[in-house]
Amino acid sequence: MSTGRKKLARAAAIFAAVALTLTACSSGGDKASAPASSAGGKLPTGQTLSVWTFGATGLEDSMNKWAADTGNKVEFKKSEFDPHHEQLLTALASGAVPDVAVVETSYSSLFKQSAQYFTDLRDFGADSIKSDYLDWRWAQGVADDGRVFGLPTDVGGLAMAYRTDLFTAAGLPTDAPSVEKLWSSWEDFLKVGEEYKAKTGKSFLDSTGVLFQTLYNQSDPKLYSADGKSLVYDTNPQIKHAFEIAARGSSISAKLGAFSPEWNTAMAKGDYAVQLAPAWMLNYIQGQAPETSGKWSVANLPVGGGNWGGSQLTIPKASKNAALAFDMISKVLSPANQLAVFKATGNFPSTPSLYTDPALTDYKSKFFSDAPVGIIYSESAKKLKPVYEGPKERQMMREFGNALGRIDTGDETAAQAWDSALAAVKLEIG
Amino acid sequence: MPSDTSTVTLNGVVGSPRRRRRRASLTPYLYIAPFFLVFGVFGLFPLLYTAFISLWDWNPIGDKTFIGFQNYTELFADPRFWNAAGNTLSIWAISTIPQLIAAIVMAAVLNNALLRAKTAFRMAVLVPNITSVVAIGVIFTQLFGRDYGMINWLLQSVGLDRIDWQAGRLSSQIAVSMMVMWRWTGYNALIYLAAMQSIPSSLYEAAAIDGANKVRQFLSVTIPQLRPTIIFTAIISTIGGLQVFAEPLLFGGQGGTTGGASRQFQTLALFLYEQGFRNFKFGYGSAIAWALFVIIAIATVVNLKLSSRIASE
Repeated sequence: MSTGRKKLARAAAIFAAVALTLTACSSGGDKASAPASSAGGKLPTGQTLSVWTFGATGLEDSMNKWAADTGNKVEFKKSEFDPHHEQLLTALASGAVPDVAVVETSYSSLFKQSAQYFTDLRDFGADSIKSDYLDWRWAQGVADDGRVFGLPTDVGGLAMAYRTDLFTAAGLPTDAPSVEKLWSSWEDFLKVGEEYKAKTGKSFLDSTGVLFQTLYNQSDPKLYSADGKSLVYDTNPQIKHAFEIAARGSSISAKLGAFSPEWNTAMAKGDYAVQLAPAWMLNYIQGQAPETSGKWSVANLPVGGGNWGGSQLTIPKASKNAALAFDMISKVLSPANQLAVFKATGNFPSTPSLYTDPALTDYKSKFFSDAPVGIIYSESAKKLKPVYEGPKERQMMREFGNALGRIDTGDETAAQAWDSALAAVKLEIG
Repeated sequence: MPSDTSTVTLNGVVGSPRRRRRRASLTPYLYIAPFFLVFGVFGLFPLLYTAFISLWDWNPIGDKTFIGFQNYTELFADPRFWNAAGNTLSIWAISTIPQLIAAIVMAAVLNNALLRAKTAFRMAVLVPNITSVVAIGVIFTQLFGRDYGMINWLLQSVGLDRIDWQAGRLSSQIAVSMMVMWRWTGYNALIYLAAMQSIPSSLYEAAAIDGANKVRQFLSVTIPQLRPTIIFTAIISTIGGLQVFAEPLLFGGQGGTTGGASRQFQTLALFLYEQGFRNFKFGYGSAIAWALFVIIAIATVVNLKLSSRIASE
């Protein structure tokens, strides 16, 4: 044999060996998941679960703890909100999926249409824990054919956080009951904001968009009719009202884009006095503006409740470790653990049994001047009703947000912006 | 046996004359095969597949419906498309024309015999180009920030008004163009520098004897000699400039995909991304991709025609 041939033969041998190993790996993976799919079987250890989030669930610590307890590992990939969902969708199409992926409620209708790309969690006995959760939050993870593709994380019951030091400086009361007496409608709220701005020269609110989001989340129905069969974004008086209030609010807002670096800076510097805050926002404030500890308090909104946000934890179908992943998500989302997460981060539980539990209702947050956040957000959560959100919710909201942006920059008046928003939405969903 | 044939070819064992002839005719194709394979997989196939998808209403994890040319008829009636096309052209003009002029001047300075630490400067001008575009985007976005940006702080400290860079059409496009210019001026300067160094010094000596000063020499000797290189950089910058994407996306922050509230700095590539990947209209996104492809092809041909006319004058 010539050396050339020898080399060729060796290369072929190596190639064959590699190919064999690869097939061995993949079939081994299949085998590992096969027995586990029958619930109650012994779960594997030494596995690494990949988890994709957009960073708002506050569950990372619990997942790491679960991994340490069970002898497994968790790897997180955190992306920004929209890119996260976009990557998940393309990953589902290609099959290169994580073991666990977060799907936020404004995207849940979109993914619901393709629920067959997710593991049906009923296979692992999800039905038995259904009663732990708020019905409508549970339903956001159920497809039309009954397939359960996600377990609910927190609920984003609405309230507002305000800077007590800035309120004092402006001659406003600082205790929550007196603050709540300042207004009984959103119009009153705007009036107080206008007075604040006239007195201090500073902004009252952070963002016109956040004001709109809040009122939008108080609407019932929202952009779709209650049965989800038709669009009402252009005829729903509540959406129009939300838009008008937000448009008026532009003059007292710092006109910042929510979640932008400038927004973070302004929050830490105290450039505005009121932050409309779903429960998870408290977590965000503590993370972004740690030095403002003790300068905030929390009060109820001028009117009504409402939900903003919350997610489902899903297991894509192509995950090799579905049984293990289910074990993890069902444990970190158990009522007991959601209580622990609430205390650590402020993310509010989706398990109603806690809403009467003194461990939650008596909870006061030091960061927010000992505000009774436990009772405020559980009262807010109790008032919540399921509101249909459709598959195109997110892209329609983007156009409303852009229209408010055009009011902020002075490019359009409120009336012009409403018309242009409807035109843009129509073009988008057309 | 097929394996026998391959052994013969690979090991160079002399076979029959017929086989040898076949081998000889196959070899050149093998040499060029890697390019065509790579181009086929990463260039041609995506191009054709995109054309295919553009004829569908394509949900990657849902229904796929064949709709013929409907995506294209919708696209040409879509004001957002023409807006994005206009923005792309104006950002291209704002960024490319000053950029190439600045690059020639920079190259002339680097080519100056009196310049010290030549290598250090030549390396330095390339640094922006090897910097991550995301880092550039994030930093420039902060520099151009409305409330806490350094540029507004400077404007204010010399008594000028602050500018909401993102809000205005022109101001936002200038900010985006600055990122492009910052990244590519040094790169083009190095290309011009290489071309300048190949200009024979006898031309300059003859010009000097004729009494031409440095500026005159630059205009009458350097620039004409650089013509082929200018054509090359103009074409490359055009192709790159029409695909500007990361800079406006990052500049817009949360509203980046629409290029601001009025779509005032949304480029075609960004519009493609918004429709294809944010709103999950893959078919429509593919149609935009093909429209962009045709626009770039036309721009390149026009560019080539114009530049060669200038060159032949």
